[in-house]
Amino acid sequence: MRWHAALRVPDHRRALPAPHWPSVRGRARADAGPLLLAAAVVAVVTLLAGAVPPLLTATAGDAVQDAVRRSGRDSDLLVHARLERDDGVNGGRMRTPTLAEDIDDFRDRAVDALGPGLRAAMRPPVATVTSPVLKITDGSVLRTFQLAYLADDRKSGGGPHVTWIAGGPPPPSAGGVDSRAEVPYEGGKPWRVQVGLSEADAAALNVRPGARIPLADDQGNVKDVQVSGVFRATDGADPAWGLAPSLLRPVSGADGVGTTRFTGLLSRESLPDARLAFGPDDLQRTVWFAPDPGKLTWDSAHTIGAKVVALKATSGSSGAIDGSLKWETRLDDVLRNVRVQVAAASAQASVLLTGVLAAAVLVLLLAADLLVRRRAPALGAARQRGVALPDLSIELLLESAVIALSAAAAGLALARAVAPGASWAWVIPVVLAAAVAGPAFGTLAAARATRDRRVPANRSARSWARHTVRLRRAALEAAVVIAAIAAFVSLSQRGIAPAADDAAGLGLGPVGGGALPASAPALGVLAGTLVLLRLMPAGTGLALRQALRSRRPLAVFGAARAAATSARVLPLLVLVTSAALTSFALTLDATAVRGLEDGTWRTVGADARLDVLPGATASTPGLVRRVAAAPGVGQVVAAQVTDNVRFAADSLVDSRRLVVVDASAFRRLLTSTPLPDAPALARLRGTGRGDVPALVRSDDGGPPEGTRLQLLRDGAPSIRLTVVGTAPAVGDAGDVVMVDAATLAAAGMPSVPDTIWVRGPGAARAAAANAGAADVVLRDDLLRARRAAPLTSGLLRLAWASAATLLALGLLGLLLGAAASAPERWQTLTRLRTLGLRPRDARWVAAGELLPPVLVAAVGGPLLGVLLARLTLGSLSLRTLTGQAADLALVLPWWRLALVTAALLATVAVVVPAESALRRRRRLSEVLRVGDG
Amino acid sequence: MSAAPSTEPNAGPLLSVRGVHRSFGAGPSAVHALRDVSFDLAPGTMAALIGRSGSGKTTLLNVIGGLDRPDSGTVLVDGTDVTALDEDGLSRLRRDRVAYVFQTFGLIPVLSAAENVGAPLRLARVPAAERERRVELLLELVGLADHARQRPGELSGGQQQRVAIARALAASPRLLIADEPTGQLDAETGLSVMALLRGVVESEGVTALVSTHDPTMVALADRVIRIADGRLEGQLGEQAGGQDVT
Repeated sequence: MRWHAALRVPDHRRALPAPHWPSVRGRARADAGPLLLAAAVVAVVTLLAGAVPPLLTATAGDAVQDAVRRSGRDSDLLVHARLERDDGVNGGRMRTPTLAEDIDDFRDRAVDALGPGLRAAMRPPVATVTSPVLKITDGSVLRTFQLAYLADDRKSGGGPHVTWIAGGPPPPSAGGVDSRAEVPYEGGKPWRVQVGLSEADAAALNVRPGARIPLADDQGNVKDVQVSGVFRATDGADPAWGLAPSLLRPVSGADGVGTTRFTGLLSRESLPDARLAFGPDDLQRTVWFAPDPGKLTWDSAHTIGAKVVALKATSGSSGAIDGSLKWETRLDDVLRNVRVQVAAASAQASVLLTGVLAAAVLVLLLAADLLVRRRAPALGAARQRGVALPDLSIELLLESAVIALSAAAAGLALARAVAPGASWAWVIPVVLAAAVAGPAFGTLAAARATRDRRVPANRSARSWARHTVRLRRAALEAAVVIAAIAAFVSLSQRGIAPAADDAAGLGLGPVGGGALPASAPALGVLAGTLVLLRLMPAGTGLALRQALRSRRPLAVFGAARAAATSARVLPLLVLVTSAALTSFALTLDATAVRGLEDGTWRTVGADARLDVLPGATASTPGLVRRVAAAPGVGQVVAAQVTDNVRFAADSLVDSRRLVVVDASAFRRLLTSTPLPDAPALARLRGTGRGDVPALVRSDDGGPPEGTRLQLLRDGAPSIRLTVVGTAPAVGDAGDVVMVDAATLAAAGMPSVPDTIWVRGPGAARAAAANAGAADVVLRDDLLRARRAAPLTSGLLRLAWASAATLLALGLLGLLLGAAASAPERWQTLTRLRTLGLRPRDARWVAAGELLPPVLVAAVGGPLLGVLLARLTLGSLSLRTLTGQAADLALVLPWWRLALVTAALLATVAVVVPAESALRRRRRLSEVLRVGDG
Repeated sequence: MSAAPSTEPNAGPLLSVRGVHRSFGAGPSAVHALRDVSFDLAPGTMAALIGRSGSGKTTLLNVIGGLDRPDSGTVLVDGTDVTALDEDGLSRLRRDRVAYVFQTFGLIPVLSAAENVGAPLRLARVPAAERERRVELLLELVGLADHARQRPGELSGGQQQRVAIARALAASPRLLIADEPTGQLDAETGLSVMALLRGVVESEGVTALVSTHDPTMVALADRVIRIADGRLEGQLGEQAGGQDVT
């Protein structure tokens, strides 16, 4: 390098800088190690930063599909329209034999209205016609009945295939298929309608073909419904059955507490009779579109959401008497929620990536510093020989640009291999730092080497110069601190996730809540590190003073070296930033994982939950006994859990989840789980007089203690409740009313347990063994499923990848810092060796120099990271991913933080002897000769 | 190389160099820094080692001080064969018998002048009270008693070199090796430093071998050893080995 530089002849006549290629090549060869290291950093960070955006887009698509899949029927797109009037020519109502064809036309009209984009994302539609819910009038138990017609777009017409095992499909009641009989609007006898029943419904109702079901509507009008046959579904899993589950089996609770619903199947032929059997507007026709999750992508989700909103906006009024389409769905809500989740995940990813980029830029600055320290003599010599600064700058820039761009291209190519469509936007800061830092530092070093500005002789001028330097540094530090404060204020006020309506697009950074809030943790770490930097000289000075009072010479020399190097900014900045951001990422990961776990405890309520199948609730006590007797089962608690139970408070009626449970047993269950205890459960035991005590939980805070509620029941008097406290969370319901089973029974409402919570190591096995009578929900399975959810798993993986990259960058920074200070350290150690210091003692002195910044980073970094996680946790909206109602509690991953600390200290423990071994290869005279220059 | 040669002082020359060769590199491009160098130095002598740049002065000093090993030959310091010592032995030698003064002073910047002077005594685990007494004495000897608390950066070049000399003398060495001690000083300061060295040689009874370019410094030495192209000049026409060359 020096040889080539010596050969160059400065040409002052040139107008443009001209690189001296032999010098460029020579320098690159001589410093291949640091250059390759910088290239590796650029390549790795480019791989990460380039791959994350497309991976996030892909994950967002998965999340859309997952959300739609999980939302079940909520995502179905329903369209209703009134049936056309059936006025007859004689002033009555006329039978419409073509009603089934009308329904088909209605379905086709709805399909056309969807438009091509939305239509492509939907499964084949199913049209339904349903009657009002009727009461079965022959028993004391409240049973309800409904008539339903299903028609998908199969060529055969009608709904899903069935096999008639007794009787046959419902025929027209009178006059044949084409009958256009006319009945008076009022005063006529009930029009007979024939229906088919499923095996389960027929068995539960104990009816056979030809039997009539005693039915009446709310007004007591009797309905004439006859069973034509009993069928068995060819494919019970056909989604069409899901539109009216009670067609296949009785469904309890559908029409209120203690009710069981049955449904009779109408045929194309009996549908016109059903029309006449009810009032002109009593039958409801609906077309159901179920979205096909596999056809949804992140890009299509936005347009589909917009189309759905447009359809709902053009819906006719529910009071309109024409046949206009009325659209109903929660698909737009589901898509908006997932957009918010994706935007939150995107913003959280941008926080992590910003941290990685900040650390990478600092490491590249440190690498450039090392490079320039190695090159300083040669650069100074080149300047002294007359090489112009622009020429040197261009040469250095060419070298670093080639390295940086090549490494970035390699990283992007790898990123594209991992995730097609890799983005380069996030790579820019790293490439810029890699390309510009080296030339800038080198040019400055070369300029300083030949600068003729001397230290002023005047004391006040020297003092002014010192003040100017301090002022510049203070201004820079103040700028970083102000930026950090602004970022934190922005983050706490706006949050990381954009508002739902702004979350239409997907991107990292600006879209994901803004660049400033996303950089809050990184800026916070930088600001914190600046404080530590200010404290370092004082700390090492104190350590030196203590060492000087001791009898340990090695402590003195180690502390002296530490004090001499305590003002170096970049190494400490890299170490603390990396350690803090690593700890931040690990803490976020641990908090999110714990949040998921807590969420599953809340959802399931125990290790396992059995939701007893409708119609099997009578077997609940036996089931409880069997499960309780199973090995490894600690506790079993049964309850009646009913959703959409109506409660009246003052003049308002709202629906809540009612939980009727043995309060003492439920509290014991709670205390055996990580769920919060609920001491208020002890107040549920009533005295037998007055209102039934109840605990109430509401998303909006709930009514205060002493509030009186009424539990409304169909066909039975309401029960008065008094709020005595806040109910514990039961499942994911926001509004819960909990009462004690015995107390409620004493008030006249015995409970029918349909939910069983099982706790203990053998809970899963016991629950699975009794799965025949109940749906089993295992907490471990749910936790696995939630962890595997696309956005959650993607973010957790990114947190880990970021933590690993940041730790690697920190360790690399440690090595670079040690390498940069090695010549000076070797000089000092060699001087000390000439005073009689033994080689093995020299290691301790070296360790004494290297340890303080590492100790500060190893201790201060994790503390700073945890502090930042604590400060930003609420604003990072992690709960949007974990599915919790409240903000997550910070979880400290102690052993992982200890590993960060241990990794840094272990690296010092490796660096010191390795450097000592390198040093011992060189004679003391060589080191002194180099040092003397 | 094992340690434990005799470290007992003897009555002969304090420094005895015999047939020392040192070359760098190999083959035709090898640089022969020292070629068959032999001489003795009696106790209490201040010898000036002079020669042009690249003549081998620093290499010779490094070999004598155990900072470098010769390819062949022996170096006896106070009866101890330096070339036969292992690293620990050399450390003991440098701690107890040989001291260095460098052109660039080699002081620890964050320690005061007194703490720098006391550094060898700390390594020798001299009790604090004795160490402070010795440091005070040495600073007074080099004329810096009033600057004991000042750090090297607050001292002039000449003062720093005086601190370095005081530090070199702290452990009462038998042999003081100074490599261009006035190289970074102006002529007047350099002369005063040489005069100081001359004085401490006499007051402390130490033997000094000082390399220098400056002929004016030579006048202060008891003996002058000339070296050129790796050979002692006197050996060119006089008998080899054993005899001082002036």
